[in-house]
Amino acid sequence: MAMGMPYGLQAMLKEGHKHFSGVEEAVMKNIEACKALAQMTKTSLGPNGMNKMVINHLEKLFVTSDASTIVTEMDVYHPAAKLLVMAAKAQAGEVGDATNLVLTLAGELLGNAEVLLRDGLHTSEIAEGYQRASDKALSVLESLVLPGTDTLDVKDKAAVALRLRGAISSKQLGYEDLLAPLIAEACIDVVPSNPHNFNVDNVRIVKIMGGALPDSQVVKGMVLKRDAEGSVKCVENAKVVVYAQGVDTSGPETKGTVLIKSAEELEGYSRSEEEKLEQYVKAIADSGAKVIVSGGAIGEMAMHFIEKYGLLALRIPSKFDMRRFCRATGAVAIVKLQAPQPDELGFAKQIEVREIEVREVGGANCVVLQQDASLGSVATLVLRGSTEGFLDDVERAVDDGINAYKALCRDARCVPAGGASEIEMARQVADFGKKQTGLDQYAIARFAEALEVVPRTIAENSGLQASEVLARLYAAHAQGQVNAGVCIESGAPKDLAAEGIMDVYAAKWWAVRLATDAVVTVLKVDQIIMAKQAGGPKPRAGDGDDD
Amino acid sequence: MGSVKTLNPNADVMGRHAATFMCVNAAKGLHEVMKTNFGPKGTIKMLVGGAGDIKLTKDGNVLLREMQIQNPTAVMIARTAVAQDDVTGDGTTSIVLLIGEMMKQAERYLQEGSHPRVIVEGFDIAKKALLEFLDDFKTPVDASDREMLRCVSRTSLSTKLAPHLVEQLTDIVTDAVLTIKQPEQPLDLYMVEIMHMRHKLDQDTRLVKGLVLDHGSRHPDMPKRVEDAFILTANISLEYEKAEVNAGFFYSSAEQREALVAAERAYTDERCRRVIELKKQVCGDSGRGFVLINQKGIDPLCLDMLAKEGILALRRAKKRNMERLTLACGGFAINSVEELSPDCLGHAGAVYEHVLGEEKYTFVEDVKHPHSCTILIKGPNDHTIAQIKDAVRDGLRAVKNVIDDKAVVLGAGAFEIAAAAHLRSTVKKQAQGRAKLGVEAFAEALLGFVKVLAENSGYDAQDVLIKLQEEQERGSNVGLDIATGEALDPQVAGIYDNYIVKRQIILSAPVIASQLLLVDEVMRAGINMRGK
Repeated sequence: MAMGMPYGLQAMLKEGHKHFSGVEEAVMKNIEACKALAQMTKTSLGPNGMNKMVINHLEKLFVTSDASTIVTEMDVYHPAAKLLVMAAKAQAGEVGDATNLVLTLAGELLGNAEVLLRDGLHTSEIAEGYQRASDKALSVLESLVLPGTDTLDVKDKAAVALRLRGAISSKQLGYEDLLAPLIAEACIDVVPSNPHNFNVDNVRIVKIMGGALPDSQVVKGMVLKRDAEGSVKCVENAKVVVYAQGVDTSGPETKGTVLIKSAEELEGYSRSEEEKLEQYVKAIADSGAKVIVSGGAIGEMAMHFIEKYGLLALRIPSKFDMRRFCRATGAVAIVKLQAPQPDELGFAKQIEVREIEVREVGGANCVVLQQDASLGSVATLVLRGSTEGFLDDVERAVDDGINAYKALCRDARCVPAGGASEIEMARQVADFGKKQTGLDQYAIARFAEALEVVPRTIAENSGLQASEVLARLYAAHAQGQVNAGVCIESGAPKDLAAEGIMDVYAAKWWAVRLATDAVVTVLKVDQIIMAKQAGGPKPRAGDGDDD
Repeated sequence: MGSVKTLNPNADVMGRHAATFMCVNAAKGLHEVMKTNFGPKGTIKMLVGGAGDIKLTKDGNVLLREMQIQNPTAVMIARTAVAQDDVTGDGTTSIVLLIGEMMKQAERYLQEGSHPRVIVEGFDIAKKALLEFLDDFKTPVDASDREMLRCVSRTSLSTKLAPHLVEQLTDIVTDAVLTIKQPEQPLDLYMVEIMHMRHKLDQDTRLVKGLVLDHGSRHPDMPKRVEDAFILTANISLEYEKAEVNAGFFYSSAEQREALVAAERAYTDERCRRVIELKKQVCGDSGRGFVLINQKGIDPLCLDMLAKEGILALRRAKKRNMERLTLACGGFAINSVEELSPDCLGHAGAVYEHVLGEEKYTFVEDVKHPHSCTILIKGPNDHTIAQIKDAVRDGLRAVKNVIDDKAVVLGAGAFEIAAAAHLRSTVKKQAQGRAKLGVEAFAEALLGFVKVLAENSGYDAQDVLIKLQEEQERGSNVGLDIATGEALDPQVAGIYDNYIVKRQIILSAPVIASQLLLVDEVMRAGINMRGK
């Protein structure tokens, strides 16, 4: 530090600090960064959205139109843009869908805020106006809920598949007819009697390269991408015993030493070991179990006896997979190597595994645990596809679909899709704004305008004349066709709900909410103080993709 | 000033004028930075850390802590502010503002040729007079008056959070303190656990009359929800512990080894069985739940035994939570299995697990006479949570201060206007000679608060100040209504500040300002001259 004449904040801070303040320097710059981010994700919005190729810091390639993946892998550094990314992540956490809507809407809102700022409005007035407009928009959204959608039989495959189509088609257009029923089937398989408790973890996704997407299927039960340990590869109607630890001779925690004085003793010791182990395995076989699942290693000698008694041995190293396996079979993991006691444990008796076999699937051996409809609570979607990137992308779409199902279980209400809800919200919010007396009416009007971004983008991404489409939509809505949205084929206003394309109400609600919150936060910041970037370890050079 | 150079040619020296200039400027600079944060209408600052982490704040204390300040004068002021936070939990921005204003006023007189000592003397007289005035001015209150506590916590929170959150948190914070308050005992704010979940929106923040633990049971078969449950808080190890001496086993057959393994387990298993026995004894067939919360570990085998009995067991609970648990649920923590008896059990209406992605939380709720509670903060992202957390901490302190002081001070600038008038009308007349200048400077500095408050709300500072002073001369207590820019009665609006906060500001701000004014030379002549 020079001992000169320090003045202002800059001189007081440590070297390397950056400091921005005021509307011009801080707010405008923030808006610019956020707009740039939104501009990028915007083209991926809607069914005809474009894919992005993102190479992350590990040089892993992603080809996707899923906004949350794009922004996560892009590693956004700008602090204000990061606030938007966080909002998108919160959306992904809450509903798992409509992340792009959050980003696009937030970007548009900030872009409009810039215009307002140039007109001389104060940031706090804009923030207040936006907040009020979003409250109004959400109440409009609630009134738009399509009648009859609030109750949904979550076990009706056809009805569920119809609802899921919207979520899938925005990610994988053209495959929604294929994937939606598959997802619906898998989800319905595992949904508990109280749908509120639906657990996303119970629907697994296994990606196997080879074949084509239409070869994908749902397996009731589990698919593990590994081979059985022994030579027995197929068992039907078997009881299963699960050990959380490894299947091998047990040792004491304290260090033990084998004390041997003569050759006979040595021989006797080995024999006693063998006998002990055989005793265990025999007890297992005697209990009626035909399958041994181990969480740890299976000792060589143990394997020998397992083979001898004709049991199928399986290793599941992942603790979580192990729990799912237990859930799927109804078994209880035993922590110590001991014979499963039917009277004490009692669980092994009721399990009836219909078929466990190792099938040649796509060149890789997989253990397929197939359960009856009445048994177990895990379902697996086996996805097939030609490349890893494609499978990853489909997986993300399926993930969104499963999350949408979960959202449906909690709140089945739907709103019109294809920009119809946004246009109606925009129309009513604009009317609302005109009735206001304060300065925030300008902000409210701009909020309404920002909502137009959805139909506009859908139209643009489909190669239509956006302004024309928008004008026709407004006209249709003014005539009372509140459900009219953009038809991506013709561009004409059309009631898409009639075709079964609907959006989940909860997803929209959260998206508008989170986008507004993020925007208001960005607007309220008038000063940024950035520390010098810490010199952490450099990202690995070269192709660091070690998957 | 050349003398230091002779002693150490490397020394860096600043003469009298430069030194004063530096001190005044640093104080003014810090004042400039902090003033936009002041009051309910203050703006937010965004701090970006070295790793790109974001922090949004309006809280002066957080700002000073996170901003890495290097200027020596600014560091001194920042330390005073941090001390202010340690003592009272609030008023950090105010103290920086007051020091800044005082330096600004003093600079005027210094430029006209007064000696700093003269001004410092005036400060000292004003300080003593103000402390007396504050004691007259304060409003004594009854510490159990919930409405009064709410007013104070609202005033404190509204300077740190968005309005829609303030109302909600006001009730939460006040009720939290009232819950843990026990007659005739000093208040321990650590008995309010602050837990956060990254989930839903900030409006979902709530007060849990009970405890929320940030971990869950470690066994898949344990019940996820038990009702009407006995709570056993324990500090017993339920896992095999190695002997401290170096021990080993000798064996010569598998049977012998098995026997040794069994013997090893027996001790631990026995302790586990004792817990199970107690459960059977108190629960019987009544279907009531039993929860074991252990500060030490529980190994998988014991977990398994407990799970089979339908006991919900949590291991490795935090030490501070053990203390809170007994306060919340009743009973007492035991340290050995010998002490196990039905008397040591606490009770809770519902204990359940909540899973958020990978994270597990355990709620212990519906307790009968809680003396400990949890403020569960929710928010969609980390910076929102951090912001609320800091605010809640300050809110709790504010309520505690009222209970300790049994007095409050009118807020919204009312005290400052009245104090300034008092200094000018009474104290200045009593002061002898040139010390009057210091008193005048202090009075003017106090009015700085009102100016900043008006400025941040978008009103003309001078305009507002004159209006309020006129009103005050008519003999009433006036504060600033930030919504209209007019005068208001803080008593009617329910705006109250902490007595201790004001007192601490008046005590420490003049001290530091005086010290800075009396600096006449700055030297850097240490051995460790970094980079030179």
